[in-house]
Amino acid sequence: MVGSIAAVGAGLAAIGAGLGIGLIGYSMLQGMARQPEMAPKLMVNMLIAAALVEGVALFALVICFMGVK
Amino acid sequence: MADSLTTQATDLAAAKMAAVNEFIMHHVADSHEWAPFGKAIALPSFLSVHGLMLVIGATILVMTFGLIYRHKDPVPRGLTCLLEMFVLLVRNQIAMPFLGEKDGRRMAPLFCSFFFFILCLNLMSITPLFPAATANINVTGALALVTLGFMFIGGMVKNGVLGFFKAFTPHGVPWPLLILLAPLEFLGVFIKAAALAIRLFANMLAGHIVIFALISLLVMFGFAALPVLALVVLVFFLELLVAFLQAFIFTLLSAIFIGQLYHPEH
Repeated sequence: MVGSIAAVGAGLAAIGAGLGIGLIGYSMLQGMARQPEMAPKLMVNMLIAAALVEGVALFALVICFMGVK
Repeated sequence: MADSLTTQATDLAAAKMAAVNEFIMHHVADSHEWAPFGKAIALPSFLSVHGLMLVIGATILVMTFGLIYRHKDPVPRGLTCLLEMFVLLVRNQIAMPFLGEKDGRRMAPLFCSFFFFILCLNLMSITPLFPAATANINVTGALALVTLGFMFIGGMVKNGVLGFFKAFTPHGVPWPLLILLAPLEFLGVFIKAAALAIRLFANMLAGHIVIFALISLLVMFGFAALPVLALVVLVFFLELLVAFLQAFIFTLLSAIFIGQLYHPEH
């Protein structure tokens, strides 16, 4: 088998980010379905939360890039 | 016999892999030549290809707002309408909610510059001819440094030097904990700016690497991988979404971070 352990790290980071963003999207959809008039406000807050979760995943991704070398 | 054949196949696969790696790296890394129409143009030593993209992006923006945007028309039409929509989005959805009515209006030009510059570079990077300037940590780092400068200097001008540092001591915390908390809060300012830079950089870089890696499957497996092109188109549209989203997120988070230091909780 050829490859780097960094690839495993990238996959693990994706699991965490996927869980996080999935939960955010789930509660956003639920909130939007219950109170459609709140949708624009919820959207902005969802994007902020998603960006924060994604940031951590991307940190991990960058470290994986560095690990490939 | 069979053994040497497998070695040959592995060698070929390894050579293809190396070629693919170089292809991808060549397309996302900074260099001193620009090959818009197949022929490489050598650039002077003070201007790398990403630097050239910044200049072109700024020129496009100045042309767009100087020539195409016409605010003298009583009823805006065409592209003017679209540009005004984005400006209003930045001012009403980003600047004013997080900085307050007065500061929001005053700071709106900064956030509009952030938004349109990053959007222009992102859209250029998914257009043929132009390499991705925002997939370079130096570019995004410089953009985040502007935010950091506004957080520090703006916060000090607004609240005074003492008031600025008072923002790092949360209320209702016993003083022994403050010794631990205050440096962490102070460090957080730099971490926020670094996260801002890395988020934009990693998003754009990862998007481009995914597109090129999918195209590279054609090199690795020949015509058998032709259906992958449909996937490339899909990822391309995802990149289009990401181009707008990242410009919006960068502006939004800048506004939140600057707003936190402009109006610290009392």
